[in-house]
Amino acid sequence: MNKITIRGVGKTFRVRGEGRPFAALSGIDLDVRAGEFLTLVGPSGCGKSTLLDLIAGLTAPTSGTLHLDGRPINGPGLDRGVVFQQYALFPWRTALGNIEFGLEAKAVPGKERAERARHFLELVGLGGFADRYPHELSGGMRQRVAIARSLAFDPEVLLMDEPFAALDAQTRESLQEELLSIWEKTGKTIVFITHGIDEAVYLGQRVAIMTSRPGRIKQIIDVAFDSRAGDLRAEPRFGEYRHHIWTLLRDEVAAARRDEVLSVG
Amino acid sequence: MADNQGTALAPVEEFPGDVHWYDLPDDDADPEEADEPSDTRFRRILRKTRSLLGRSAAVALLLAIWEILPRTGIVDRVFLPPLSEVVGAGYDLIVSGELGEHVGASLGRSLAGFVLAIVTVIPLGLLIGWYQPVADFLTPLLELFRNTSAVALLPVFTLILGLGETAKITFVLYACAWPILLNTISGVKTVDPLLIKSARSMGLGPLRLFQKVILPAAVPTIFTGIRLAGAYSILVLLFAEMVGAKAGLGYLINAAQFNFRIPDMYAGILTISLLGLLFNQLLVTLERRFSTWRTT
Repeated sequence: MNKITIRGVGKTFRVRGEGRPFAALSGIDLDVRAGEFLTLVGPSGCGKSTLLDLIAGLTAPTSGTLHLDGRPINGPGLDRGVVFQQYALFPWRTALGNIEFGLEAKAVPGKERAERARHFLELVGLGGFADRYPHELSGGMRQRVAIARSLAFDPEVLLMDEPFAALDAQTRESLQEELLSIWEKTGKTIVFITHGIDEAVYLGQRVAIMTSRPGRIKQIIDVAFDSRAGDLRAEPRFGEYRHHIWTLLRDEVAAARRDEVLSVG
Repeated sequence: MADNQGTALAPVEEFPGDVHWYDLPDDDADPEEADEPSDTRFRRILRKTRSLLGRSAAVALLLAIWEILPRTGIVDRVFLPPLSEVVGAGYDLIVSGELGEHVGASLGRSLAGFVLAIVTVIPLGLLIGWYQPVADFLTPLLELFRNTSAVALLPVFTLILGLGETAKITFVLYACAWPILLNTISGVKTVDPLLIKSARSMGLGPLRLFQKVILPAAVPTIFTGIRLAGAYSILVLLFAEMVGAKAGLGYLINAAQFNFRIPDMYAGILTISLLGLLFNQLLVTLERRFSTWRTT
């Protein structure tokens, strides 16, 4: 069963001072299954974030259609939660207040709001930090709060835009592990953008590889391990997946670089 | 000013050409206090007194010079009476109730203009910051007016509104309006786009977005404007009170000078300084409370 259906989606931007429009995405066909963890990798500038914005309903496609549960996506909504790389926490609100933000948007009554926010803060392991302001938290803690905020209003789909890219390696790994366990517990559909192949293989049930600009879906690879227990990264299968995706991406990265040189020169 | 030309209204921390005697460094940060918690109480008090003395050394020096120069005859004591004489004159003014009356009149006008400016200008600034068409329409006009000194417009206020309270309060309002307006506009315009995007992704409409994101994000910047306006409200009032007033500190200073009550004049000037200092300190404290979340 498909949660999100994307058909022939293209997005072009008008560049100021230039006559020709700039094509970020073209002809995207993608199905996201209900409850799956899909990771999306591609060279930088391939339009990954644009695709996520389209699913979030923050922008409209130039061509093609996007559907969520069979209904066309016409704008943002609380059935989708977005987690950004730079956390996007409201600095004047405490950790708890930030989580309550989405619940206020959903018009959850006051008492229940605090209770639910507390529950999700504990889910991400920050029970003792309810009254801290974002600037009093580390990067990893901020991203946990952001994840808790997106989970709290109970969206069906979690859209994550390179959420761990700004964190150090150790924090990243522990957050990846936690995200997986949250995903298993909650059964959310997750679309996760990354430029790290390791991350894509480690997290995704399927990995979608995008081409360089204008972004297209080049290939989708099923990632299956016999067991997720233990050190997944040490398994030979992990290395095979990694290498396979790396090979697919290499040409795209080279193409992206050529493109960059051309546009600069 | 040249760097502001053509761009949108930039946030204004200072108006060019003004003297910033009121912007003294903050006193709260005391790095010495943080370490050595096991210190004895006596030594702490001693250290605190010493740092207080150190900070006020320049002021004390100035006051000492003020006392000594006229006494030794280096400066004509008719034009610059020693500090002790000025303090004595101030004391007499306090006892006679005259000073209280002038301070009351001045504070009333300052506060009226200041509060009116806050009430009317913040909504206007929010409107200009939020609706681009309003901004496009008003920005050229605002650029013109904000580069016209308030003091230059004082005769216009007097001509149109007369010599009464209305002109004086309007004048203060006008001067206070600019820092508040420009800071409010920039506060609204400089909200982190990512926060807006994040709120939009949660389905917030324009109105709720404004109420829950734009406004709280802009509060610290707006408050900076309010603090500056507070200083202006006292600063510019003096000008207004030197024309056709029967009470107020500006009147006191002016009248004392005309009647050659020089110590009284200096007492008036000192009062103004203290008043400005006090008001600014109050607003700084308030500002800090409103922007605890703002780092660096």
